[in-house]
This record gives sequence, C-alpha cells and structure tokens, in this order.
Amino acid sequence: MTSHATPRRGATYELQRGYRLMMVPAILAVGIFAIVPLAGMFGLAFSDYHLIRGTNWDFGFQNFAKMLSDKRLMNSIYVMAALSFFGVALQVLIGSAVAVGLQKITGKWRVGRILFLLPYAVPHVAVALIWLSLFTPTLSPINAFFDLFGITVPAFLTSQWGAITAIVIADTWTNFPFAMLIIMAALQGISPDLEEAAAIDGATRVKTFIYITLPLLAPALLMVTLFRFIDSLKHFPMIFVMTKGGPGRSTQATNFYAYVQTFQNSNVAYGAAIAVMLFLMAALISYYVAKLNQRVTT
Amino acid sequence: MIDNSPEFRVKRGIGLTLMLVLLAFAAVPTLWVLILSFRAPMAIFQPIWESPLALTLDNFFKITRSNFPSALMNSFITAGLSTAFAMIVGVPAGFALAKARLSGKFVASWVLLLLRMAPPVGFVIPLFLLYVNAGLIDTYMGLVFAYMTLTLPLVTWSMWNSFAQVPDELIEAAIMDDANLMQAFLLIALPAARPGAVAAAILAFLVAWNDFFYALIITRSGTATAPVAVMNFISYDSVDWASIAVASIALTLPILPLMAIANRYIVQSLSGAVKG
Repeated sequence: MTSHATPRRGATYELQRGYRLMMVPAILAVGIFAIVPLAGMFGLAFSDYHLIRGTNWDFGFQNFAKMLSDKRLMNSIYVMAALSFFGVALQVLIGSAVAVGLQKITGKWRVGRILFLLPYAVPHVAVALIWLSLFTPTLSPINAFFDLFGITVPAFLTSQWGAITAIVIADTWTNFPFAMLIIMAALQGISPDLEEAAAIDGATRVKTFIYITLPLLAPALLMVTLFRFIDSLKHFPMIFVMTKGGPGRSTQATNFYAYVQTFQNSNVAYGAAIAVMLFLMAALISYYVAKLNQRVTT
Repeated sequence: MIDNSPEFRVKRGIGLTLMLVLLAFAAVPTLWVLILSFRAPMAIFQPIWESPLALTLDNFFKITRSNFPSALMNSFITAGLSTAFAMIVGVPAGFALAKARLSGKFVASWVLLLLRMAPPVGFVIPLFLLYVNAGLIDTYMGLVFAYMTLTLPLVTWSMWNSFAQVPDELIEAAIMDDANLMQAFLLIALPAARPGAVAAAILAFLVAWNDFFYALIITRSGTATAPVAVMNFISYDSVDWASIAVASIALTLPILPLMAIANRYIVQSLSGAVKG
C-alpha cells in the first residue's frame, strides 16, 4: 500500500494512531464478550467442575483422557460425520443442479427461483418443526399420499438411519439454496465464449462441463463446501426438535452431546472439554478459510 | 442453438423432470405449513383432499392469546439491540482494519472468522455459569451480551471486506484536504460502503433472530425469544400443530424482506473471497 503523495511524518503517525483508536472499542468488546467465555471454556475443560457431584478444583487432563475411552463420544463423532458428509454433499449437489437448471430458464419463469430460495429464509427451529410434522406418520401428507396407492411409508424417526436421514433432509432443504446462490453467481462469472469455443473445437457437452466449467466453478464449490461443513459441526436445533438425540443415542452429534453432558448430566467440565475439541476443529478450518480470504482483506 | 434430435429431447426431458422433482422438494413443505396454519382443529389429521374446505382463521387468533406475540417482541428487542451495538463498535473497527497499516491483519481476520464459526456450545457453558452468578439469566442484557459474540465478529469481518473495496485514494484525498480521520470515515468512507453496512446489519440481525441455542440456555419464560417459545406448543402428551404452523410463519415473515436484500450480499461477500 503506497500512497503517491505521502503526508508528512507526524501526520502519518497521527493517522495510524487514529486507526488504532477506532479499533479499541471492538477489541474491548471482543475481549469481554468472546475471549472471556473462551478462556472460561478452556479453564473448565481442564477442571472437574460438576454441578451435582461437587467440585474440588483439581486441574489436569482427566477430561481429555476420558474422551479417549468414551464410546458415546465416538458414537457422536460418527453421527456428526454422517450428518456433515451426507448433508453437505446433498446441499452442494442439489444446489449445483438447481443453479445449472435455473440458468436455462429465462423470461417470466425466472420468478420461480423464489420458490427455491424460500427455504433458506426459514429459521432453523421452524425448519425442524416443519419436517417433524412431515415425518409424523399420523399427520404427514406424504404418508397420506402414498397410502392412496397402498404404500406405507416407513416411520423415519424411530430408527437410527431413518432419523439421521430425516435430519439430513431437513438440513438439505433449508441450506441447498445457499449453495445454489453462490454457484449461480459463479456460473454468471463464466464467459459463455469459453464454452462456445470448446464446442467449436469439437468438445461434447459433458467434456465442456468437466474440463471448462467445473474447474472455473471449483473455488466457489470449495467455499460453499467449507462454509456448509463448518456450520454442520454446529447441528443443534434440528436434533433437539426432531429427535432429541434419539432413538436411544443414535442422533447425538458431538455438539449435541456436549450440551447433554453439560446441561443434562451436569458434567460441566467434560462438556467444556468436548467443546474445546470442536473449537479446535473450527480453528483449523477457519484458518484455511482466512488464508483463502487473505487476498481480499490485505 | 436449435437442436431437435431425439437424443437432445430425451436429455431435456430428464433435466426438466429433475427440476420439477427438486421444485417439489423445495416448495411442498412451504405449501404444507400454509395449509396446516389454516386447518380446522377437527380436520388436522385428515389429508387435505378428504376435507379441503375444513379451513379456518381461528389458529391465527388463537396464537395472539398465547405468550408467543410477546416472545416475538423479545426476539425483535434482543436481535435489534445486539445488531445496533455490533454496528456501533464493529463498523469503525472494520474501517480501521481495512485501511490502517498494521501487522497481524491475518491473525485478526482468522480470529474474527473463528469467532463466527466456533460452535456456540463452547461460549454458552462459561456464560451460563457466569450469568447464574451475576443474575443475568432471563434478562435482555444477558441475551444481548451473548448475541454480541455472534454479531460483532460478523459485522467487523464483513465491514472490513466492504471498506477494503473503497479506494484508499478517497480517504487519502480527504486527509490531504485537512479532514480528520473521523470526518474521512463518516463523510467519505461510510457513504461509499453503505450497501455493505446495510447488509452487515441485516446479516447480524438474522443471526440473532434465528438463534435457538443461546436463548434455550440463558432465557426462561420472561425473555424467551420466539424460536424458544414455539417449543411451548409441544407438551408432554400432545402437539398443537396448527399453532406451530402459524408460529413458523410468524418467525419467517418478518425476515423475508431482509433476506431479499441480503441475498445479493451473501453472494458478493463469498464470491469476493472466491475470486483469484
């Protein structure tokens, strides 16, 4: 950053000091509202804080040692991985398909894209409740519809994979429009000349898509995948509303398990230790995203 | 390109069918909530085609007699306040981060992103213990403070991106003309970045409005926000589906215009990061 007309030295110093002063309130606020709770989380994670059993303030690695042999934690990681993988994959796939499809739709039918965008506007609790109603066999119009043809739709929420599928469907419903929006913007940025040139050179549609369009979409796809993946680590409202972690413990994803340990089992220290693990995962991914974003901000 | 070969028509047919299936996936649940919200209580468990006329407006009147409207008010108050505070503090910081000569900018952007992305369960555990001891459970202040952990990094980060697009020369010219930094910020940079500021405020409001987790832990009946209060329609032995449908609509309608404005910006802010 070089300015063609450099102000005199004292003025520059004044200016840079002014910039720093403007940051002070934010630094204080982030310190109070974010860093203090984070320090608390790390502190608790190494403590033995328990709301019922009592606390001796023994500090050490006991919670992290316990995590290594905790089968419920392992289970929660599998659930989280399944929810993340299938959810993000479906959102990116459906989002891309709709984005490509909508590109071909012109004229007054373009208004129809609102129908695809609407699910993105619905708050997650409402999403969860809507899909809970759709997965309640006595209420659901889907079940009633298939009953007309003598087909009984299985009850999703009473089996492990059924319940995971239900959450993935609800999550996909509300979040594929996010992928769609980003990919639509990226598609608009691709010059049609490139695809035409490929067609003139004798490339088939499939080949054009794989060798021309897809590489140009790759950065957008990566960004969408990363953002959706990070969000999927935070799964909570849908699990809380639709399954309460059940049947049994089969949909207790890690974030939800941390909540259960802290607020239902009163094992605050252990819940905090699990939260630390999730936090470190988020730290890794956000480091990568910050690197990708670095070109813009600096 | 006019192509009427059978092969092309088959492909187009498959594409169109796929789009219609996806449209049904997107639109049926929305349509279903609308129907459910007008369904007469007697007919709620009947398929709509068996009793298409069993519709009523009572569900909408009924919910005004519950505590849900005051919960909506709580949502407005807490989301509005936490957005306002985040803007007051975060917009100048975003400006400074975009324009100051600083080392450690990368770390700052990482921290802001991380705060935005970190699972809230880690924040909520210490906050809950703190609030129990400080008497902040079930207070507006407690919830607004908690939402600041969401809104402030969001506003600062997106304003940083917005101000980065404002040419440095504009600021420098103002400074050369004897404007002080505050004037350059308020009179030059902020108007130039206004669309970004509007979008940042909207995104912050939406994050707080949509929150379920913080409100579940640190509110009780007094300041419960709408996403938490809607759970009251589910009791141990019965579920008031009609009220849930009305409440879901009431949760979504106020933010639809905000979403319409912010959509474009979500794309810009992300594709800005995507461009090489």
